[in-house]
Formats: sequence, structure tokens, C-alpha cells
Amino acid sequence: MKLNYLVFGSFAGWLCVFPAFAAGDAATNSPGYTQATPAGSAERAEIEALKKQVQELERKISALEQQRTREQTAAANTNQEQIQALDQQVRILERQRELDQENAANAAKTQPRLTVGASGVTFNSADTNFVIGLHGILQVDSRTFPADGGIKGNDGFILRRARPILSGTVFRDFDFMFVPDFGGSVVQIQDAYVNYRYRPELQLQAGKFKSPVGLENLQSDPVTSFNERSLVTDLVPNRDVGAMLHGDLFSGAVSYAAGIFNGSPDYNGTTTNADYDDNKAFAGRVFFQPWKSSDTAALRGLGFGLGGSYEVDRAATNTATGLTPGYTTDGQQKFFSYSSGVFANGTHWRLSPQAYYYYGPFGLLGEYAISDQQVTRQAVGAPPVASADLQNIAWEISGGWVLTGENAAYNGVTPNHPFDPGNGQWGAWQIVARYAELDVDKDAFPTFASYTSSASSAKAWAVGLNWYLNRNLRVNTSFSRTIFSGYTGAKPAVPAQPENAVFTRLQLAF
Amino acid sequence: MKTFLKILLVLLLAAAAEAKEIKLLNVSYDPTRELYQEYNAAFAKYWKAKTGDDVVIAQSHGGSGKQALSVLNGLDADVVTLALAYDIDVLAWQGKLLPADWQKRLPDNSTPYTSTIVFLVRKGNPKHIRDWDDVVRPGVIVVTPNPKTSGGARWAYLAAYAYALDHYGHDDAEARGFVKRLYKNVPVLDSGARGSTTTFVERGIGDVLLAWENEAHLAIKEFGADKFEIVTPSESILAEPPVAVVDKVANRHGTTKVAKAYLEYLYSDEGQEIAAKNFYRPRNQAIAAKYAANFSPLKLVTLEQEFGSWAQAQKTHFADGGVFDRIYQPE
Repeated sequence: MKLNYLVFGSFAGWLCVFPAFAAGDAATNSPGYTQATPAGSAERAEIEALKKQVQELERKISALEQQRTREQTAAANTNQEQIQALDQQVRILERQRELDQENAANAAKTQPRLTVGASGVTFNSADTNFVIGLHGILQVDSRTFPADGGIKGNDGFILRRARPILSGTVFRDFDFMFVPDFGGSVVQIQDAYVNYRYRPELQLQAGKFKSPVGLENLQSDPVTSFNERSLVTDLVPNRDVGAMLHGDLFSGAVSYAAGIFNGSPDYNGTTTNADYDDNKAFAGRVFFQPWKSSDTAALRGLGFGLGGSYEVDRAATNTATGLTPGYTTDGQQKFFSYSSGVFANGTHWRLSPQAYYYYGPFGLLGEYAISDQQVTRQAVGAPPVASADLQNIAWEISGGWVLTGENAAYNGVTPNHPFDPGNGQWGAWQIVARYAELDVDKDAFPTFASYTSSASSAKAWAVGLNWYLNRNLRVNTSFSRTIFSGYTGAKPAVPAQPENAVFTRLQLAF
Repeated sequence: MKTFLKILLVLLLAAAAEAKEIKLLNVSYDPTRELYQEYNAAFAKYWKAKTGDDVVIAQSHGGSGKQALSVLNGLDADVVTLALAYDIDVLAWQGKLLPADWQKRLPDNSTPYTSTIVFLVRKGNPKHIRDWDDVVRPGVIVVTPNPKTSGGARWAYLAAYAYALDHYGHDDAEARGFVKRLYKNVPVLDSGARGSTTTFVERGIGDVLLAWENEAHLAIKEFGADKFEIVTPSESILAEPPVAVVDKVANRHGTTKVAKAYLEYLYSDEGQEIAAKNFYRPRNQAIAAKYAANFSPLKLVTLEQEFGSWAQAQKTHFADGGVFDRIYQPE
């Protein structure tokens, strides 16, 4: 602004002065001009003075222009410094954020983690070397036996299983499991064991757990197709106390288990935690899934194997016969038991070829079981009446189809669309069917078992519908019919007429 | 049967005589990656030639204090090569992982090489940083790691403090004021020396990095002498990063012999050359003279001269509630 005034002032000055110059020039240039007179000298002096003023003004203008340039440069430098300072602040903030994220990630690596979800509650150390899990199974069943010939007290609701499950890992390689059961009519410890995972191929398990023989029996309780296992499971050992080597070979294509146990009679719903004799039982199983990792999907779900056990039973006391308390139906009603005074006395071996196949929504499971046991009948204080080697046989085939398309599997069905009616999701639905038979050795009768209290064979078929609301909740309903042979006793009695059983179940498992 | 047993015995002896593969874990402080990469290869070659065994050395790097804590919490280090003796003392006192007199087991207080703290600045040194007084000027942005976790940061702090003591009448209050001004200029605290180098060199933050001497040279080597230059202050601290076998772990692994040899080889001519080439000041005077051009002369004060001992320095300055906690106020 200052400069502009100066320029204008200079220009105005020129306007005033120029005519004088022009007049002067005109005067000096006009014809007839003669040498300066004292009056012309005064004009020249004035002109000189004005020239000096103009020069002074030019000098000042130049100085002002230079000052403006310096000021602009200084302002630019200040802006540049400010930009650099801001740039540094931004970089610092970014780096601080980066370090905070690194610190948070490092801290997370050392923090224990608590997980709550469909698989239960799990608390594990940052390095996962220590894990504690709390899970559970709750099964509320109803059983109804229409046309049961007047048997009293067998219809009703049952708290079939109520098991809190405490499991975990210590020091990375040692797993443990503790499962009490408050369902049924007896509180008992179902599982209590420690497993050392030396390698996936070689593990050592000790404590109380399922004996490695029956395929259906080894299936986890919450995922069986029906409320109750089939007649085949009557002949295989249930849970037993002992130690077992086991592992998966060739990426799981072969699984094996071999153990030594106290010895268990044919399926005993209520298991004991101690042995009644000094002899031990050997049980083992090998199972093949040769196409487990195959590119051919249709073959991946095929598995087959063989389980078995061997022991020498010498029932030491009258209170422990070493024999099954009885074979039960799908409805868990006893249809066969040995007579009083009969006890295990000699070898007891079992063999169970078994297989399953799963492909997409289709599942099929089959099993055959032989239980060969030497028995003796002897009253207390009396000489033995008789001994025999009895071979009882059972088999079953069961299948299912998941109507909603999810994959069927030995480990159960997981719905793709958990129940959420507001969003049109209804969980997974599965229909199941089964046929099974159990034949008691004819030589058991009449010395070791009585036709008046036991049937010699049972044939059962069943159909059912399973509804998997989500990974944790399931509702079953099924109907089974069991037909008996050989029974000649009085009524009402279980084997006196076919057993018709209607089941429902509400299950929570996590 | 006898023949069978003889064959079996021969096979067993042959199996025992077969070359073994021995694994060691060296838990080290942050900026020694390049040093131990080169050194480990040299030692493995030496050990193979000497014994026929293969030795594989795994490395772990991080702030010295953090690394010590990791070993205390179970990281299975066969050897530790940390930034300062105190961090190894902690393993002896608290973890009982090695004897308390561990420092006497190797020459020069178990420090096969030394180092110091210098300034790494931008090329042209636009902020005209010449000495510690310039580092504490307002407006100068300083990059240095967190003394709570980094050994190098503790050395840098003590170097600044020692300078202040020497130049301001050995007055602790003045020295505290000096380091307070220094840390007022520090906007970001990385956990280790390598992190600070990243902050300064790669993130472009700061006017000066208080760096391990070797780290400063490496930065120039990697990123170019056209971007950075080293300014050697008039005075700094003689940093003595020690090394030690972690007896409890090495005994459990059965690696005591090779772990001991691994550290002893640092004192060999080859070990000292490797240290010097990686800009650590070797203890071997002949090799130090050979590589003298790598190291600028400066006045070096020792920790013992100014602070007594690491235990005292740690307690006074770096423990919870110590001087550093009182002077450093993050913004």
C-alpha cells in the first residue's frame, strides 16, 4: 500500500514536473533559443533538484521492493517451518499409535483369555499351556410305554443326565477330565482321568473312562442318534478304571487304543470305581479311516475297525458276580438277567467288528458284538452245580438323513442356520432309523437263566426325529418297538409283550 | 545271540559317535542382530571343525530389560548377551539361574566388546547439534528408547547425566534438571534401541537419535551417508554389554560346554574382528587399532566413576519412583 502511494506520488510529481521540462525543452529547442539567462539557470537548478528527488524516490521504491521480497521469503520460511513442525507432530502421533498397538498386541500375548461360547467356558493362559474348561450336559427325557401289559411306574420324566464337565490342560501336554453325573437315581463319577499327549501318535491315559471296544458306546452321549443306545451296547464294556495307550497314526487314518483295566461286565449303567477280583482285563481297538483325507468326498466318511477285550473273571464274593446286572431294551427295561448263584468264572472275551459311513446328510453305522463268558452256577457253601461257556451275540444297523442338508457325522450334526424364527431360520432336522437284535446263548437256559424271568432274544426297531436348534440345544422324539422270544413267565413283565416306547428329550450340551 | 549283541553294541556306539546337532538360544539386546548373525555363522563353522558337531543358534532380540524379564519368566535362554550387567544380575538374584559372581567367569567383567552413545543427526545437521547442551535446547526433538525397558536408553540417560555432573559443578539437582530438559524433548519412547532407530530413520521423526555407536554406523551404512551423519559428543559413557551362560537352562539342555565355548569365542581374534566390523569396540587392542578409523575418539566415563554401581544407578534412577519416573512426564 505504501509503495502504491509512493508510485502514485511519484507519477503525480512527474505530471507536475513534466510540463516544466517540456517547456524547458521547448524553450531550448525552439528556433531562436539563445544561451541561458539567469532565469534559465534557475529552471535548470529546479530540474536538477527534481531529478534528484526522482532518483531518491526510485531508490526508496527499490528498497521497498527488496523489503517486500524479504518479508515474503521470511513468511514462506515461517510457513515451511510450521509445516515441518506439523509434519513432525503428525509423524510422532502416528508412531505413538503404532507403539501403542504393538504394546497392546504384546500385552495380549501374555494375558490369559476367557472364552464363553457354544463350546462352554474356557479359561486359558496366553501360551495355552494351561487351560480350564467348564462344560455340561443336561438331558431331560420322557418315556411312555403304551400297551405295556400293565407294568406300573415306567412312564414318566427322567433327568437322564446332569453332568457338569470339568476339563483342561496343564503344562501343555497333560489333559484332564472330571465328570460327575447327578442324573438318574445314583450320583456317580462317570469320567475321571488324565491323558498325557507325548505325540498325537502316542498318548497315555489313566483313570476312569470308556473302555475302547464298542463303536456306538464310544460315541459321545449328546450326539447319539436316539435317546438310548441299541441292544449291541448291552454286550460291550462301559466305563472302567485302568490305563490305556492310544493315538492317531498317519494323520488320523488309523486310530488305536490298547489298555489294561479292572474289568467290566457287559454294559453296566452304574459303574464302579474298584475291582472285585485281582485279575485284570485287556481291551483294545483299532479303527481305520483310510480315505479320511481323500480328494474323493464320497470316501472320506468311511471308517471300519475292530474292538475287543479279554479277561479272566473270578468272582470273589457273593456280592459281585462279575456278570451283567441284565440286558436292557431301548426303553432301559431289563429283559434278561442271570439267575441267582450264577457268577463269572473263567475267561470273558469280546469281539466287536464295527463300521460307519457318512456322506453329506446321510449317515450309517453298523456294529456286531460277541460276548463270550465262562460262568458257573453255585449256591453259597455248596459245590458248583454247573459251568458253561456262554456266547451272547448282538448286532445293529442305524442310519439317518439330515433333512435340512447339513452333514451327518459320528461327532453329531451342527446346524448351518441356528434356530431364529424371526429370520426364518429353523435349525437342523434329521430323521433316524435303527434295527438291532440280541441273542442270548441257548445254553444259558435253564441252568444259568430262567425263561420265566428272562427272554432269550430281543429284536428292536426304532424311528426318530431330531431337531438341532443350535450347537447347544436339541430336541428328540422317537418310537421304538422291541419284540422278545423265549419268555414264558407271568405278566405283567417286560418280556411278556412287545415293548413300545415313545421317547422325547430336551438336551442342553455345551 | 552273542553275534547279535556285538552287532547291536557296534550300532549303538556308531549312533553315539555320529555328529550331534546342538541347539542354543541366545537372548540378546536389541541392536545386536547383525553382529550375532555374522558371529553365529563363524562360531558354528569353528565348532564343526573342532568337534564335528553342528550347532544351531537361535536369536531373540529386544530391549535389554524386557529380555531379562522374559528369561526370568521362563524363556529358555542358554546364553544371554544383554546391554548391561544389572539385567543379568537380576537373573542371578531373582531367578537363581546363574551364580551371583557370573561376571568373573569371563575376561573384562564378561564384556568382550564395549560401545558408547553417540548422536545420529540428519545430513547437514540442520539443528547444529554438537554436544549434550544442544540436545537439551528447546525445539530440538530427541529420539531415545525407554530406560525402563532398554539398556541402551539407560546408558544414554547416564551419559547425559554424567555430562551434566561434569559440566555443572557435580550438582545432582542441576544434573536432574538437565536430563529433565532432555526428556522434555523426547516425544516417543520405544521399548528398545532398534525401535528408536526405526522411529528416527524410517518414520523420519526427530532431529537427533541418541544411539548405540554401532547402531548409528549401521543406520548410515543401510540408509546412506547422504541422509544422516554421526556427531560424536565431547563426552559419553563407556557402555559394557556383558555376556553369560544361563547355567540352570544350559545344564537342563546339556549345552553347558558349547554355551561356554560360544561366549569364549567372542574373545578370539575372529570374534573380536567380527565385533569391530560391526562397530563394537573390541577389547583386543591390536584389533581395536586396526579398526580405529571406525571409532571417533571421545572422553569416556565409566559407570563406576560417576554412579558407583549398576545396583545403585538402577535404584536411584530407573526403579519405580526413581529419578526418571519423577522427571519424565509424557504429554
